[in-house]
Amino acid sequence: MSTFWIILTGALVASACGIVGCFLVLRRMALVGDAISHSVLPGIVIAFLISGSRDSLAMMLGAAAIGLVTVFLIQWFHQSGVQSDASIGVVFTALFAVGVVLVSLYTRHIDLDLDCVLYGEIAYVPWNTIELAGIDIGPKAVWGVGIALALILALLFLFYKQFKICSFDPAMAAAVGIPVALFHYLLMGLVSVTTVASFESVGAILVVGMLVVPPATAYLLTEKLGRMIAYSVAIGCASSVLGYGLASLLDASIAGCMIAVAGGLFLVALLFSPSHGVIFRKLRQKRMIRHRTAS
Amino acid sequence: MMIQAKTRLKGSVQRLALTMLVVLLSACGASGAATPEGEDKIKVTTTVGMITDLVKQVGGGHVEVTGLMKAGVDPHLYKASHGDIELLEKADIIFYNGLHLEGKMAEIFEKMAKSKTTVAVTDGIDRSKLRTGAENGMDTEYDPHVWFDVKLWMKATEAIRDTLAEQDPEHAEDYRKNAEAYLGELTKLDEEVAAKIRSIPEPARVLVTAHDAFGYFGDAYGMKVMGLQGISTASEAGTKDVTDLRDYLVANKIKAVFIESSVPRKAIDAVIQGAKEQGHDLTIGGELFSDAMGEEGTPEGTYIGMVRHNADTIVNALK
Repeated sequence: MSTFWIILTGALVASACGIVGCFLVLRRMALVGDAISHSVLPGIVIAFLISGSRDSLAMMLGAAAIGLVTVFLIQWFHQSGVQSDASIGVVFTALFAVGVVLVSLYTRHIDLDLDCVLYGEIAYVPWNTIELAGIDIGPKAVWGVGIALALILALLFLFYKQFKICSFDPAMAAAVGIPVALFHYLLMGLVSVTTVASFESVGAILVVGMLVVPPATAYLLTEKLGRMIAYSVAIGCASSVLGYGLASLLDASIAGCMIAVAGGLFLVALLFSPSHGVIFRKLRQKRMIRHRTAS
Repeated sequence: MMIQAKTRLKGSVQRLALTMLVVLLSACGASGAATPEGEDKIKVTTTVGMITDLVKQVGGGHVEVTGLMKAGVDPHLYKASHGDIELLEKADIIFYNGLHLEGKMAEIFEKMAKSKTTVAVTDGIDRSKLRTGAENGMDTEYDPHVWFDVKLWMKATEAIRDTLAEQDPEHAEDYRKNAEAYLGELTKLDEEVAAKIRSIPEPARVLVTAHDAFGYFGDAYGMKVMGLQGISTASEAGTKDVTDLRDYLVANKIKAVFIESSVPRKAIDAVIQGAKEQGHDLTIGGELFSDAMGEEGTPEGTYIGMVRHNADTIVNALK
């Protein structure tokens, strides 16, 4: 049973991250997930100073609040003309630094670091169950990430067209009367909610990886947004299943293996993609040269 | 015809994919089931090496104990591997330190308590004997490194003895006997360490290490303990910490500082360099075991050996 829950959790994280990740990759903001994984440090310190405990609910609320602040600042800086990579870099290093300062000022004698108090571990997902009216209703992670995924799907279902135009051509979106800024903030908010909910259940590497690698792989295979999202989710889910198998074979970290497999799939796509793959492109170039010299 | 052949091909591809998935999944499940059943030995899984050793001493031949964290692994940086799931799943009893040493893992152990016996070995220790982060008024958060006070670790031994006896009444007498013998050894160890530390001239009884793990040691055996980092091995030393510490060491002519088996020595090197610039020759007194024990099979791979190694290293360097 634990195998089932772990793979299901992996697939849910892969799906949720795979969908929002596509929009991030298109907007050149793929590393927002990594940024959030660092910038939430001041959030947990402040949550600890207020609540006086390292209870995971308090930690998660603190992280969620700072997660939203992070994406808000990144988006705001970006809209004010800072390049997207620079605004991500500025926001997360500055917030992380504030966290380090707070730790050294107030909580030196307490073990308060992200790995210990916030990041979960996918291996323990099966035991971290929740009870409703005395009945065990399954792992907390499945519910948390599942709800985030449902939220993403619902918003995407309602506003797919708007999200799409805003990602590809913000100028045109504004011209046809779509509140571009609102949709950017909405997307970033979704990213923040998804990542923080997932950090708490499965740890940072899995989330940051699933947010970037499957969407980047899908981008090599297609140029249509709808297909890109579908491929990205499929690649993410396949990475979870295969990664779990690899982890049990090697007796290694499960999250690590899942992302390693995703990286492997990316490499395969990079080499063999019919449209963007290195090998087919070389072949096409050769054929073109031969064609020209012949004519 | 063509269409039929196509659908047949499609069907077989699907079937192949499905079989592969099933094989993969069943392989994952089967790898666990294949291990032979130990003849009704009690299966115990522990977190840190110090607890693994206690369970070995008390349980003797009746228990099969496996530690999740191997020698030299900092508990803060421990990453679960696939096999650890099985160790937790198969265990009859899980012993862990508690007091937040294992971070979020402890929450999992608490949840597991519904279906199996999970025991925090420090639970039975009187909270008034524990060190707190009191300077900030956070007196509900305790320093987890209790094993450095041998007397407190004897309490942990008792907790393990009582749990084993309760879960395996058939061998309860053996557990009591083993525990009694081991507690005797620990009492001797406690006296031995105290005597050794007393042999250091009093002003020199200052223990400087990289992170704050030795508070209990200092309290129990009368040493002033100064750490460069906070309790967490992840927090970083501030520049003021380094210069303050350097000035103190120079002013009090302390001879040596210590490095730890599971913590990088960079910050400590900075202090030594700083002292040298002020004309005070400071040496590294040796490596102490803090959050993890030595390799299995060496004397330092047991709790008693580790404490003895620490005491000897400290005495030799500071005397």
